[in-house]
Amino acid sequence: MDANSIIFGGISILSLAIFFYLGRFRASSKQRDREDRIDWSSRRFSLWKMFLYSLVAVGGIILLAQLL
Amino acid sequence: MSNHKALNMFGRSGNPSLNAQTFSDSTKDATFSAQATSSTMTLEGTVNKTGILLVLVVISAFYTWSLFFSSGSPAAVMPIAIGGAIVGFILALVTIFKKQWAGTTAPLYAIAEGLFLGAISAIFEAQYPGIVIQAVGLTLGTLASLLFLYKTGIVKPTENFRLMVTSATMGIALLYLVSMFMNIFGGAGVGFIHSNGLFGIGFSLFVVGIAALNLVLDFDFIEQGSEMGAPKYMEWFGAFSLMVTLIWLYLEMLRLLAKLRSR
Repeated sequence: MDANSIIFGGISILSLAIFFYLGRFRASSKQRDREDRIDWSSRRFSLWKMFLYSLVAVGGIILLAQLL
Repeated sequence: MSNHKALNMFGRSGNPSLNAQTFSDSTKDATFSAQATSSTMTLEGTVNKTGILLVLVVISAFYTWSLFFSSGSPAAVMPIAIGGAIVGFILALVTIFKKQWAGTTAPLYAIAEGLFLGAISAIFEAQYPGIVIQAVGLTLGTLASLLFLYKTGIVKPTENFRLMVTSATMGIALLYLVSMFMNIFGGAGVGFIHSNGLFGIGFSLFVVGIAALNLVLDFDFIEQGSEMGAPKYMEWFGAFSLMVTLIWLYLEMLRLLAKLRSR
């Protein structure tokens, strides 16, 4: 087994262990007790607004690619 | 938020035992309360189901991976890979629109995507040995790091964060779609996003970043779902959401590493 497999395999196992351990606990009160949490029951911004933003992002990326 | 609102938010359960009355009654009767808890979404249940989906992905990926290395030809696995991707896409749409079916469709989605991932990974591995374990390590490392940052409250998702991440995700999907159609109809495609130049690598880094930030949205959705007592099937839906993001992140990691190695 080479060093690449040992290092990245180790990272994978450690990360999975962290995920399965930490995932069972609730987030800290700093995360939960705040006013600006996402309200998953409603969409504050319309899909059209998101689509418009995404078009701007795509346009920006294409423009940047042309300029560089 | 009331439990009734929580049900509206996460989709009304098809289970007749789950209605708005369920939660108000549960406060009066301790025995009933325990039953109600076992029929609502929990963090532990979601994590366990994510584990099941991960195992299914690995098992089905192993099949196409082995098939590729035993035949030595991409042609042997490509029909299965493309079939897996198409079936996976259809199952993902079904799961999104019929959350109640997630208990059945999410495992099937994981198996279909596993077939696709195994084939793609094997093709990349044959070209760049060692790339797959690097991509797996970086993907899972990102998952664990962001979970830690989310749980400790260092990363705080807000409505503006959601707007930014969702818009960027839609933009990337749009760009890939345009590129795909241009390729199909004989055009040059949006070449720069696939190039191994500085811009191509920068673009891949941006996409990896956005895919990673989608994980934070998934964590928040799961956390709030369990807090609000969403129906039990939402555990499968939460695990499915996490799996979709992880698969996307893994593929983008593979592309990024391949671009770096091909320079």
